[in-house]
Amino acid sequence: MTAALFNVEWSDYAPALRDGLIKTLEFTAAGFVGAVLLGLLLALMRLSPLRALRWPAAIYTELFKNVPLLAIIFLTYFGLVSVSVRLSVFQAGTLSLVIFYASYLSEIFRSAIAGVHGGQREAAEALGLGRRVTFAHVVFPQALRQALPGTNTMLVDLLKSTSLLVTISAAELMSQGQLIASETFRALEVYAVIAVLYFVVCYPLSQGLLWFERQVRGGVPLLPRRRRRMRGVRAMLEQEAIA
Amino acid sequence: MTTPDLAVRVEGLCKSFDGTRQVLQDVHLNVPRGKIVSIIGQSGGGKTTLMRCVNLLERPDRGVIEIDGEPIFAGDRVVCKSLPKLRQRVGMVFQRFNLFPHLAAVENVMLAQIHGAHIGETEAIERAVQLLRRVGLAHRATAYPEEMSGGEQQRVAIARALALKPTVLLFDEPTSSLDPESTGEVLRVMRELADDGMTMILVTHELPFAQEVSDWVVFIDGGRIVEEGPPADLFQRPREERTRAYVGNYAAHFDGGLEEAERVMGLK
Repeated sequence: MTAALFNVEWSDYAPALRDGLIKTLEFTAAGFVGAVLLGLLLALMRLSPLRALRWPAAIYTELFKNVPLLAIIFLTYFGLVSVSVRLSVFQAGTLSLVIFYASYLSEIFRSAIAGVHGGQREAAEALGLGRRVTFAHVVFPQALRQALPGTNTMLVDLLKSTSLLVTISAAELMSQGQLIASETFRALEVYAVIAVLYFVVCYPLSQGLLWFERQVRGGVPLLPRRRRRMRGVRAMLEQEAIA
Repeated sequence: MTTPDLAVRVEGLCKSFDGTRQVLQDVHLNVPRGKIVSIIGQSGGGKTTLMRCVNLLERPDRGVIEIDGEPIFAGDRVVCKSLPKLRQRVGMVFQRFNLFPHLAAVENVMLAQIHGAHIGETEAIERAVQLLRRVGLAHRATAYPEEMSGGEQQRVAIARALALKPTVLLFDEPTSSLDPESTGEVLRVMRELADDGMTMILVTHELPFAQEVSDWVVFIDGGRIVEEGPPADLFQRPREERTRAYVGNYAAHFDGGLEEAERVMGLK
């Protein structure tokens, strides 16, 4: 039975798996960065006092939250061709991920930004801080802490969803697996290995993100400038204590 | 028509919410430099709104507001050139502290120095530590708000409000959400500020404290100033019936009247 399970010459396929894994990570990185940027823009639009900004963002979010990712992938890759927009596999795949995950992330960001207590903006206002400084130094850092858990879940989810790109042969991990399976006729073994590979990437990623969340919640300064500043303050106080 | 020896001058101030509910009606208020004016009265009487108009966190409907002799509001509109500049001259301390929870105490005091007044990093740190020392919290400089007691948070908030060397400090019920011990700490810091000649407007329910530190007390009810005067007069010889009822009620909470109240709060 064991012998029957492990018949594939994996050493022959290692480069293909490596390339697939890299491609998966590329899709994940590009898709996530794009989705975060678009999601943040949508969230800010939905919090705008202007209806002309709020409505389009709300419609976008509701629309793409309720359409399957696979449908969006087919639309961008096969559908857009008929209006003479021909995207490469990488472009179409990334665009689909961005479109889909931006709608979820915008919800997470919106509630995180709205969840920052009104007294915080008021305190900043009373200190004479402008709107931009208030957002950058008071609202955003607090919203970031609120949004981190949901955003991290979405990142891991996005990585796993890149496997749907097998449907447009995107050369990512799942596509490589499909090729290997079709050459070796060892579906169980091949897909088990592929599943394990996804796990091996996703598990440390989500654990790492959880660790990061705890750090941030514990108040660890993220920016080197803040770390330097706190060291400076401590040094100053120690020096005074000695003197 | 300006009066340069007044830190704050308010004249004929009117304010309504939703255009109907009148919260301030023709209110006048003069705060000379170096003096402390307390505003007392029932909740919902308009005292907090009056104070929030001074730094234009609330926008009045009509009236005149001057800071340091410079008009910031006149007629029915804001006339000061820069709201941020105005607010750098008017520090504010909130009932619920409103410290920035993601920043350490020292950073709370530094933020407006660096991003508002564009003071250099080293100078901002030195000034922040010095202010924290003034409120007795230099040793807590690197602590985060959630690691501090309410009294400590409010003292950091006072240091933060002082960071830009304001002309006048506004206190909005600064001890209302504190236990008695923390209240004592915060009042001690405020008394020291008073001794240093800081100009302050204080909205408070702590009548014994108001009586002790204020140069002038304003009793406001239903959006109007009912009675004002030196604390000795207003607390011991109130002329108006409504003032008598309010001041009397408060003292009656304590068996021994004001004396007992002061002792309980650790003021005497």
